[in-house]
Amino acid sequence: MSTSITHRQRPARGALLKVGALLTVGALALGACGGDRGAAGPADTDTTAAEEGEDVTIRFSWWGSDTRHEVTQEVLDLFMAENPDITVVGDFTDWGGYWDKLSTTVAAGDAPDVITQEERYLADYASRGVLADLSTLDIDTAEVDPGVVASGEVDGGLYGIATGINAYAVVADPQIFADAGVEMPDDTTWTWDDYVEIASEISASGEDVFGAQDYGFNEPGFAIWARQQGQNLYTPEGTLGYDEQTLADWWQTSLDLQDSGGTPDAARSVEIDAGGPEQSLLGTNTGAMGVWWTNQLGAISAAAGRDLELLRFPGESEHERTGMYFKPAMYYSVAETSQHPEAAAKLVDFLLNDPAAGELMLSDRGMPANTSVRDGIQELLPPVEQQAAAFLEDLEDEIVDGAPVPPVGAGEVVEIIRRINTEVLFGRLSPQEAAAQFTAEVEAATGS
Amino acid sequence: MSVLGELRSSRKAASGPRARGGLRRGDGRAAALFLAPWFAGLLLITAGPMVASGYLSLTNYNLLQPPEWIGLDNYSRMLEDPRLLNSLQVTFTYVFVSVPLQLAAALALALLLDRGLKGLAIYRSVYYLPSLLGGSVAIAILWRQVFGSDGLVNQVLAFFGVQGQGWVSHPDYALGTLMALNVWTFGAPMVIFLAGLRQIPQMYYEAASIDGAGKIRQFRSITVPLLTPIIFFNLVLQVINAFQTFTQAYVVSGGTGGPADSTMFYTLYLYQRGFGALDMGYASAMAWLLLAIVAGMTAVNFLASKYWVFYND
Repeated sequence: MSTSITHRQRPARGALLKVGALLTVGALALGACGGDRGAAGPADTDTTAAEEGEDVTIRFSWWGSDTRHEVTQEVLDLFMAENPDITVVGDFTDWGGYWDKLSTTVAAGDAPDVITQEERYLADYASRGVLADLSTLDIDTAEVDPGVVASGEVDGGLYGIATGINAYAVVADPQIFADAGVEMPDDTTWTWDDYVEIASEISASGEDVFGAQDYGFNEPGFAIWARQQGQNLYTPEGTLGYDEQTLADWWQTSLDLQDSGGTPDAARSVEIDAGGPEQSLLGTNTGAMGVWWTNQLGAISAAAGRDLELLRFPGESEHERTGMYFKPAMYYSVAETSQHPEAAAKLVDFLLNDPAAGELMLSDRGMPANTSVRDGIQELLPPVEQQAAAFLEDLEDEIVDGAPVPPVGAGEVVEIIRRINTEVLFGRLSPQEAAAQFTAEVEAATGS
Repeated sequence: MSVLGELRSSRKAASGPRARGGLRRGDGRAAALFLAPWFAGLLLITAGPMVASGYLSLTNYNLLQPPEWIGLDNYSRMLEDPRLLNSLQVTFTYVFVSVPLQLAAALALALLLDRGLKGLAIYRSVYYLPSLLGGSVAIAILWRQVFGSDGLVNQVLAFFGVQGQGWVSHPDYALGTLMALNVWTFGAPMVIFLAGLRQIPQMYYEAASIDGAGKIRQFRSITVPLLTPIIFFNLVLQVINAFQTFTQAYVVSGGTGGPADSTMFYTLYLYQRGFGALDMGYASAMAWLLLAIVAGMTAVNFLASKYWVFYND
């Protein structure tokens, strides 16, 4: 390149020119960057804008399925009709890409104003100063159960408000049970041995179906297993609260299921796990049972095209206590850097408390945390969701306590358990080795 | 600044033997103006981020809080990270298996197409197509379907009475499907091979056949030696490309590098550390190691080329 520069002209002038050119281009580029930052970045807390009726635009991010995207857009349209001075831009992806995208936009100083959070990441983001303390904003939580509000507290600040309540449960397809000639279990008394036996029996029935989908790709199932035995995945202090043997047993049971044919072979299990609710065994009418969150019942039933049923986890009456628990499905959070915290708070308040918004979202973000909204939608719920509501109500007396908020770094556990479970299913790690490795990796990730 | 210094010194160097006369006064100004966008791009888009990543690699940076200086800790951590070593193993296996296969396929097809087929342009385009599509998300998704439990591959196998399995979801085969994908995208090196074959003077072959050399002998003694510069060029490019494989692995494994880390390419692990685990300092250090590895491999390639690449001129 440089050799093509001519040598006959006066050097000083040439150099000057080049500096000028560089500076011009540089300034243009920097100017462009500056423009971006000015539009979306922090600083400038000119909050009076909204009050004066000036139009503001805020962004709201969430993850989920297509149905959730459509419904949420309807809710936002409703909000914007009531608040003509606020424009809400939806920013949504599926679960898999959500956290990558969120961390990148936050790092770029371009965080969405209202952020949907999840318990495994809430502490991460809150402790790193990304989220605003919601108790300083104008959001009405009077009708939310105080215990549920408390689930969004980190280090004394309120960084998320639960959207709704969920429980991890067994979903079963009565039709497949009937086809296979196997009786539906009594879920108040069934044990883990029953679970293995029933699943194997259904697989062996001669129908082209499996008894159950593998449960090991997700850690809440293990949390329930551990809690049934008086232990827990995490302690309230954020350390690990189980014996390695307990975890090894959990994986051993999963292997027993695979060996007896109760669950599909390892490669197929990996594939089904990647497919989400729509391509699950239940969603494709090819399996009788699976473990899911109660707010996924609607989506799975829709994919299956038939009514599915919720069952308690096996083993709830096997030991001295029950293991199931309510989990806040998601949280609404506001970015610390939001330029329009008032507008953002208004949106959160609307999502949380507005009856019309509740009627649109129904139980898609969990059974609404706001109790009067929850009562208001009961009649409107489709039969399958009414069943979920009744199921959660029944559980209320049985659940001993909530699970502690997962420690900072718990988001990594999602990936760790999926990988180690795959190794177990393929027989590359024994349950004992897997338990030791899981413990070591989670301790490293959470710094406990 | 250093760029300007370089400019100045190179001008001095060039002022001795003048390449061509007739450069007029305004030319330098114009040249500088036209070069400016390139320099600006180099500084802002390449050099700037590289300097930044060099700095970040010496820090603990979680994206959300300001980076914190920790010296060479990230680099020493890499030595003790079994998943990093695994990702290196996956990547090297992939490079060493799929690149030679891909080049062999490309050369074979190029030889077939070089026989003066009718409609050569059509064949060339058809075979080039996978190269255009290979790195795309759509093809990777298609690949996942084709090699799935109920995918095309298993249906064909079932036709022959063979019980297949989920190829992309089995840790022993998942990497193989990605290698197949890479081999399948042989179009780009094939087009280059074709151009190279066209450069070989026909008279060599005529002379050889008069001397009684058969087709195989001609291929070995004329085609291959005269094609070595092209093979070398393709090799260097494809090795660098293969080291940077990301999209295919990301999409086929659903971003997990699974099953069981069997498709955990180096770049994918880097991405996971940076954006999944919010360990951007470590990810930056990994990026520098990758740069060193790719530079090292390229250097080895160039050094070795002295012994096998034949330049006719």
